Amino acid sequence: MFSAEIVGAWIAVFLTLAIFSYLYRDNPFYKIAEHIFVGVSAGYWASMYFWTQIQPNLFGRLWPALHEGLSLGFLGKLWYAIYNFFNLIYPPAFPDGGVATGHGMQLTYIIPLILGIMMLLSVFSKFSWFARWGICYVVGMAAGLRAYGFLNSNVIGQVKGSVIPLVGDVSTGAIINGIILLIGTISGLLYFYFSKEHKGWFGTVGKIGIYFLMISFGASFGFAVMGRISLLIGRFTDLKSFGGAAYHHASLWILAAMVILLGIWSFFNKEEKATKGVPIK
Amino acid sequence: MKKLADLVIKLGNVDRRWIFIIIAIVVMYPLFKPLGLPIRPSESSQEVFNTIDALPQGSKVLLSCEYGPSTKPEIHPMAIGVLRHLFEKGHQVYVTCLWPDGQFMAREALEQVAENEYNLTYGEDYVLLGFRPGNEAVIKGIVSDIRKMYTIDSRAIPIADIPMMNGITNISDFDFLFSASAGYPGTVEWVQLAADPTGIPMSTGVTSIQVNEVMPYVDAGQIKGILAGMPGAAEYEKLIGKPGIGTSGMDAQSIAHVVIVLFIIFGNIAYYLERQRSKKTF
Repeated sequence: MFSAEIVGAWIAVFLTLAIFSYLYRDNPFYKIAEHIFVGVSAGYWASMYFWTQIQPNLFGRLWPALHEGLSLGFLGKLWYAIYNFFNLIYPPAFPDGGVATGHGMQLTYIIPLILGIMMLLSVFSKFSWFARWGICYVVGMAAGLRAYGFLNSNVIGQVKGSVIPLVGDVSTGAIINGIILLIGTISGLLYFYFSKEHKGWFGTVGKIGIYFLMISFGASFGFAVMGRISLLIGRFTDLKSFGGAAYHHASLWILAAMVILLGIWSFFNKEEKATKGVPIK
Repeated sequence: MKKLADLVIKLGNVDRRWIFIIIAIVVMYPLFKPLGLPIRPSESSQEVFNTIDALPQGSKVLLSCEYGPSTKPEIHPMAIGVLRHLFEKGHQVYVTCLWPDGQFMAREALEQVAENEYNLTYGEDYVLLGFRPGNEAVIKGIVSDIRKMYTIDSRAIPIADIPMMNGITNISDFDFLFSASAGYPGTVEWVQLAADPTGIPMSTGVTSIQVNEVMPYVDAGQIKGILAGMPGAAEYEKLIGKPGIGTSGMDAQSIAHVVIVLFIIFGNIAYYLERQRSKKTF
């Protein structure tokens, strides 16, 4: 009668309505949903990272599954003795004979393993300086990876994109758009030039830049509203479908129960009584 | 006139919970009673459609899912619409995910479209390579050598055993890239590290909030069209002639926007009148 899907729907409805209940005011339902969200997110990310990256890509390269009939030398046996220790502790993550994910043995992966352990040492104040090594690597690598991308796509690509032909096979509309784009780009850039006082013609150009920026912020606000409404529609669509007979009218039952319980909670809540009649603005 | 001004000022100071209730009602009503407001594809959505439509049959398409349950209402209809279009045209689809939740979203979309609607074969017509952590590093890995990044797919099948992976070594083996993105890492990183350096044609579908950030790449020709939020999804559904969840949400979206605009105008009038009155008092 109550399948896993139906139970999942009831939980989804409860959590959705619990989050929405914050619109009334901070309350225990909202707190429950908030804490569940934080806990589940942390657990989910940790588990996901371990099973998709650390286990197959790190351990799978340090201790790959051994082919049948392959004999290990002394050092190899010693190396796999470490693995066997992990195997004793937690066999699902460290199966017998090595991690079979199609990798060959790559001992250079000891470096990320050590850096990872060093980052974890940040929880001990005495050894927290170890974490800097790992952070240095991550920052350096990320900066290196992104520097080229930004220069190529955001600087060169955008400069190329702002160069629009004004003659030849171009429509009048495209020419007008091109001129507006040119004025907006130059005035917007000059607004952020602070080595010269914003007075006279320079101040006027800067002011034009502000208007372009304002239009951009307005568009961003409009898109943000659109995005939030889309998410609301998504939640309401789910609430609507979970309110059907197939889900034993989960939305209606939980909504009714929550309204009654919130009413009782508000009635007995001292803080609520103290602020009664004061509208939230 | 004074009474009217008093009323406007009073309403301008109304408890915000009334506004929440009004928004809830206007969003909910069209979901129960669809109004059937017309949907007109924008130029950017049309460009995405034209680009995919012009791909030769049997093209290899890389679809990257960078979204999760929180942005599902906006991006999932796009992913479904694009998958329908790709499978309709007989293309092979390779799905990667830069977000962990993206893998579940992609699996759901593939189950719905590839398995239930088109009855396609896993490993021959489509493959879900899955999520790999590393953000930009994953894109770099796919660009240089996908087999180093993915040794197994999301079903733990070795890449060497997947028929449609034959001959695929890096991004240059794909004909088209589509990023269904809700943030970082996503469309911007694909442009910077894959599309621009290699020249692979790319389109995208993003959340509304990202449109302003991504639009300059579209205008500069670095991305071929953009599906912008839920309206973008609805427009794409209209273009492929298969209405779905994007279309059904557009009535509510339009009505809610009208109400919000009215609230903004009304709020500004109330603020103006209140300010005028306080000036007169002092």
